Amino acid sequence: METEIRAILAEHARLPVEMSSLDDEADLYQAGMTSHASVSVMLALEDSFDIEFPEGMLRKSTFESVSAISAALTSLVGAPAE
Amino acid sequence: MDEFFGALRVGTDLVPVAHVAESVARFGDRYVGRVYTAHEVSCCRGTPSVVAAGLAARFAAKEATIKVLRPVGHQPDWRSIEVRRDPAGWCALHLTDEAARMAREQGISDLAVSITHEAGMAAAVVVAVCDSAGGDHDDSDNRHSGGDDHGDSAGDKER
Repeated sequence: METEIRAILAEHARLPVEMSSLDDEADLYQAGMTSHASVSVMLALEDSFDIEFPEGMLRKSTFESVSAISAALTSLVGAPAE
Repeated sequence: MDEFFGALRVGTDLVPVAHVAESVARFGDRYVGRVYTAHEVSCCRGTPSVVAAGLAARFAAKEATIKVLRPVGHQPDWRSIEVRRDPAGWCALHLTDEAARMAREQGISDLAVSITHEAGMAAAVVVAVCDSAGGDHDDSDNRHSGGDDHGDSAGDKER
């Protein structure tokens, strides 16, 4: 799941740094992701994982790191297969 | 100034028009429908570049408004912050739902917005007036006055 999240962030988050330089806990907003870019990230995640983020999850903290996004997706689609 | 006892907050934001144009092209109505109200969309008609410029200015206004609302944790739905354009051309903010609640809780009694776009960038400035008492004012319709928009996103000059 993290690999797919990283690919989406690399395409849509418009970060001024390479995703490979950020660990899973790195703050994406601190790294340069704008609010507008986070909307594109959200829509790309919905496309990729065939889910829709409910209003209650539309908060900055949901998209602030790879780990946070992974946790949100896991809650929506279930735990990844072993 | 003697009659003015409130505090002011200022929010500003800058959005590259190309970023909005790419989101429209990539996600289409899903992007537009999740971020903008029907009124806002109706105000942004024309060529794709004109539409993107108008939407970008409105996104900047929404983000600038969030900066004056200062949400902790949960962020209001983008559509609960609406830029309304008067037929005369000037713009105003209309808050609903969670954004309106946040404004009430923080004693924001009035908001003014100015939006513009030029040379591929869109910008907005929002000024909020806060009651000195805070959180206890009569503003049931949550309409707030507007400012200048030097853009031409809807074909008409917006002020």
